[in-house]
Amino acid sequence: MITIKNLTRQFSNGKGIFDVSFDVKKGEVFGFLGPNGSGKSTTIRHLMGYMKPQKGSATVFEYDAWSEQAKAREHVGYLPGEIAFLDGMKGTEFLDMIAGMQGKQDKEKREELIRRLQFDPKTPIRKMSKGMKQKVGIVATFMHDPDIYILDEPTSGLDPLMQRVFVELVLEEKDKGKTFLMSSHSFSEIERTCDRAAIIKDGRIVTVKDIHELQSMQRKLFDITFFNPEDVEAVKSSTLSIEKTDGNMVRIEVQGNYDAFFKELANYPIKNVSAANQSLEQIFMDYYNAEEVNG
Amino acid sequence: MSASLYKQMMKSNLKSIMSFGIASAVYVILMTSLFPMISDNIDKIQELTAIYPDSLKNAFGLESFGTYGEFISAEYYGLFFLFILGIFSVMTAIQLIAKLVDRGSMAYLLSTKVSRAEVAITQIAVLITGLVIIIFLNFAGGFAAGELLIDDQYAIGMGDFFEINFVGFLLFFAVGGYSILISSLFNDEKMAFAAAGGVTFLFYALDMAGKIVPDLDWLRNLTLFSLFEPAKIANGDVNVAFVSVTLFGLGLLAYVATVFVFRKRNLPL
Repeated sequence: MITIKNLTRQFSNGKGIFDVSFDVKKGEVFGFLGPNGSGKSTTIRHLMGYMKPQKGSATVFEYDAWSEQAKAREHVGYLPGEIAFLDGMKGTEFLDMIAGMQGKQDKEKREELIRRLQFDPKTPIRKMSKGMKQKVGIVATFMHDPDIYILDEPTSGLDPLMQRVFVELVLEEKDKGKTFLMSSHSFSEIERTCDRAAIIKDGRIVTVKDIHELQSMQRKLFDITFFNPEDVEAVKSSTLSIEKTDGNMVRIEVQGNYDAFFKELANYPIKNVSAANQSLEQIFMDYYNAEEVNG
Repeated sequence: MSASLYKQMMKSNLKSIMSFGIASAVYVILMTSLFPMISDNIDKIQELTAIYPDSLKNAFGLESFGTYGEFISAEYYGLFFLFILGIFSVMTAIQLIAKLVDRGSMAYLLSTKVSRAEVAITQIAVLITGLVIIIFLNFAGGFAAGELLIDDQYAIGMGDFFEINFVGFLLFFAVGGYSILISSLFNDEKMAFAAAGGVTFLFYALDMAGKIVPDLDWLRNLTLFSLFEPAKIANGDVNVAFVSVTLFGLGLLAYVATVFVFRKRNLPL
């Protein structure tokens, strides 16, 4: 449904995207991960026909995203990364205008979305909070029942409850056979919905992988507290990677090797286990660092 | 052209269109209602203006106040009208494209099956509709004041008055044209405003300089504003058909170029 081939665009400051290639199949939810400024939005802008590729091509629903952009967009629900509405409108006026431009006047789905996202669309947009604007954007994206969804950081500004509603929405649409391309810098958001994901850094695709593979590449830290001080020494001499020790507590780094981790720890009495939270930035850094070491 | 977009854009811009339209109509009504008084005292006023140099009188259309056409040209269409419509044309043209691109709202207008060409044509239609409304209010204000406030003896040539408004509309049809073309070329709202405003001011200044300094008369060939000479239209000294076709043609050319440019360029959305 979406095919990107050798897409290249360099900006005057040297940044840009270089030789980006991947494809998204029908019914697939595809994650597009990368830190800020890595080229996610630039790639998406090419898909929406806002920019002409310097090299390569982007195809959306069998139409060229540049030369046949209006035809391609007919099948797309797009949620921009930076929500910038028009001045002086109410939510309802904005939705009416977009619905008219989409050519769908059926209000049923729109009403349902508004009910599920729980907001008052009659509020003037300039008085809305960031989260509320994001909700208006989500309604505008989903209300015309498109075949393909292109979402640029869809959950930014939403509280955890609404993030869950959003994930439900995505999974329901996925069940109907809809296709998604979703950019994010939140791994957990991608984890819950995506089948595959591409990681982009400095404008280049680092990898395109099954989401489970990516999960196993995630490095996790566990703080294990032992009953016996001598067990600390024993663990230190095992194959596990120890980051630091503090009395009876040992911080162990695990990256995919969960089996070895559990088998080793099963040998000792354990007082406490806690998993340190790992930010997405950390996952990226781990991934990138691993790439550099291996490559 | 997209009807939904047009409707919403008209709604968003209606306040500004009506403010410009009503302000200028009130001015026309006020001036028109003063005409009998001026006309009765024309001799004294001529004495007063006689001390001005000829070139200055020429520039502001002060040579003669005898007829309504000459009077309203000098008092309104030669100056105030140009400012109001100039500001409106430049401001609205920038708001309709460059501002939306700069702020990113254009991403929403271009997120549906409505093509870039259709979006550009719709925005152009909003600008032209605004100009039509303002000129209509001007004409209606002058006409109503002429019919209701003034005695028949101070006959107002409605045909001439209509022609002044008609050519005035076409002048700003053309000004709006190059302004929206500039608007479609820039990513930055402020730069677009400076460019379109600068060009408009330059055109106006060239016309003024050419009128005031006889040796610099050739400057007037470089500006659109020399095609709109309300006092001469009132006296029947202008080939209205030629001027109208020229202004309309230039405007149309600019609008076509706007659609073409907007279709082809990269947008930073």
